[in-house]
Amino acid sequence: MIIDPISIALITLGGVLIGVGVHFIPVGGAPAAMAQATGVGTGTVQLAAGAGLTGLISAGFMYNFLATAGTFGTSEFILVLASGAVGAMIMITVTMFIGQLVYVYCVGVPPVSAKVDKDPITGDRQDIYVSQGTEGHGVPTVSFVSGTIGALFGGMGGSLIYVQLMQIGNDPSNSAVVALAGIFATGVFYVNSVLASYNIGGTIEGFHDPKFKRVPKAIIACLVASLLCAFIAVPIMGGVS
Amino acid sequence: MSAVEGGPASGGLPPNTIIAIGVIGGLAGIYLTMLNQTFNTTIFSVMGGIGSIFAVVWGADAVRRVCSYGLGTGVPSIGMVALGMGVVAAIFGLILPETGILPIPAILGPVISFIVAALIGLVIGLLSNKILNMNIPIMEKSMIEIAGAGCLVMMGLSASIAGSFAFNDAILPSVVSTGYIAIVFIGGAMTILHPFNANLGPDESQYRTLYVAVEKAALIMVIAGFASLTVIDAVSAALTMLVGLLIFLVYFNKFMKSVHREAYKVVGTGLLPSAEELE
Repeated sequence: MIIDPISIALITLGGVLIGVGVHFIPVGGAPAAMAQATGVGTGTVQLAAGAGLTGLISAGFMYNFLATAGTFGTSEFILVLASGAVGAMIMITVTMFIGQLVYVYCVGVPPVSAKVDKDPITGDRQDIYVSQGTEGHGVPTVSFVSGTIGALFGGMGGSLIYVQLMQIGNDPSNSAVVALAGIFATGVFYVNSVLASYNIGGTIEGFHDPKFKRVPKAIIACLVASLLCAFIAVPIMGGVS
Repeated sequence: MSAVEGGPASGGLPPNTIIAIGVIGGLAGIYLTMLNQTFNTTIFSVMGGIGSIFAVVWGADAVRRVCSYGLGTGVPSIGMVALGMGVVAAIFGLILPETGILPIPAILGPVISFIVAALIGLVIGLLSNKILNMNIPIMEKSMIEIAGAGCLVMMGLSASIAGSFAFNDAILPSVVSTGYIAIVFIGGAMTILHPFNANLGPDESQYRTLYVAVEKAALIMVIAGFASLTVIDAVSAALTMLVGLLIFLVYFNKFMKSVHREAYKVVGTGLLPSAEELE
């Protein structure tokens, strides 16, 4: 059993990146499904997992492409991480965009944030457009940008865990190693995104939301949880190969 | 977003009875698949599926108890974390004796998985309560239970697909490499999170929630049987599917009966009216 400190550190970092990324994603939960809160109308875990798993697929494709072609160095490593991040970002932006179309053209509400008076990015007035009795609706510009940043972190974190597990397994053509790394990355992804969502406690609009100040707590929680998962996952991947 | 917020769940079987049913039933089911090796057959794979039903009942009851306090993030999150912790622990426990690093007999694999799952659950529960300040009094205990149940569901369904819980010989080639592990992961999480998610509300009752748990666990058992068609022989796979289907029908019936009994009135709305009828 080889417990490689660098692998453990990278997997833990991946977990922390996921936990931080979740805080950026505009999650409206059940109220947003009725256009009574800003964000996409589903839970944190579903949104984060949707983006994260898409990131895993694109990272896995890129890893397979590069690792079977020949040497796998630092630049290839970064390329795979970027691929995972872009995959997750595409997924979340498409989700937010289509959700936005539904909110604007089907529900008939303007995208507006209730947490700030002026949009920090565009400077547009927000408060006068918030319907009475609601906490904003739709996905305003700042939330959209924030969600994209969140997917960047989440996708990168997920692919970091996957790539590092694949590197320990060191056999990209063995489907057992690929599947094990994938399912472990998924497991660690869910644990971290759920911990982050417990920290948020329901809904968040993005980095401009006051709840965003709770991030340090999530970093500590995700650090401990991912460290534990890394200590379990690293010897297993070493044992299979 | 739980509709019933702020109080412990009440009524029905006491938690300790359900824990005993889940742990003993789940582990017994997984270990009974060893009869396959004893009698050189695969017919006893069905036991893994039955074991997973007991574990699902336990997991769904633990979800019911903790979610009655209101998590603020919806019930599905806790089901996903259950299998997230469960899958990491299950694979670790099953693979550890086979690596030969520690002198542990392979037969102890499921028990090690279960203990590791409880350990991860304890850490996640402590983090949720102490660092994230969720302040749910039963969070630590429930997380241990949910992780343990998730781990047992994962092992039970895998053993039912592969016909054995030996990792390198059975589960790795037939469940992990084939990708069926993804079905076990998401399906297992669904069985644990769905019963309470579907039944929550002011008139939620334990037995109705657990009827849904058994019914959902039986459905995923049918899917596991279908998956095992490509892994073990058709007769054993058909047996798993048949038993699952029977349990599903019985408990779906029970669930429907309890819904009809407890609802104020059940009326059929019929189909949407056609254009002529609207005029």
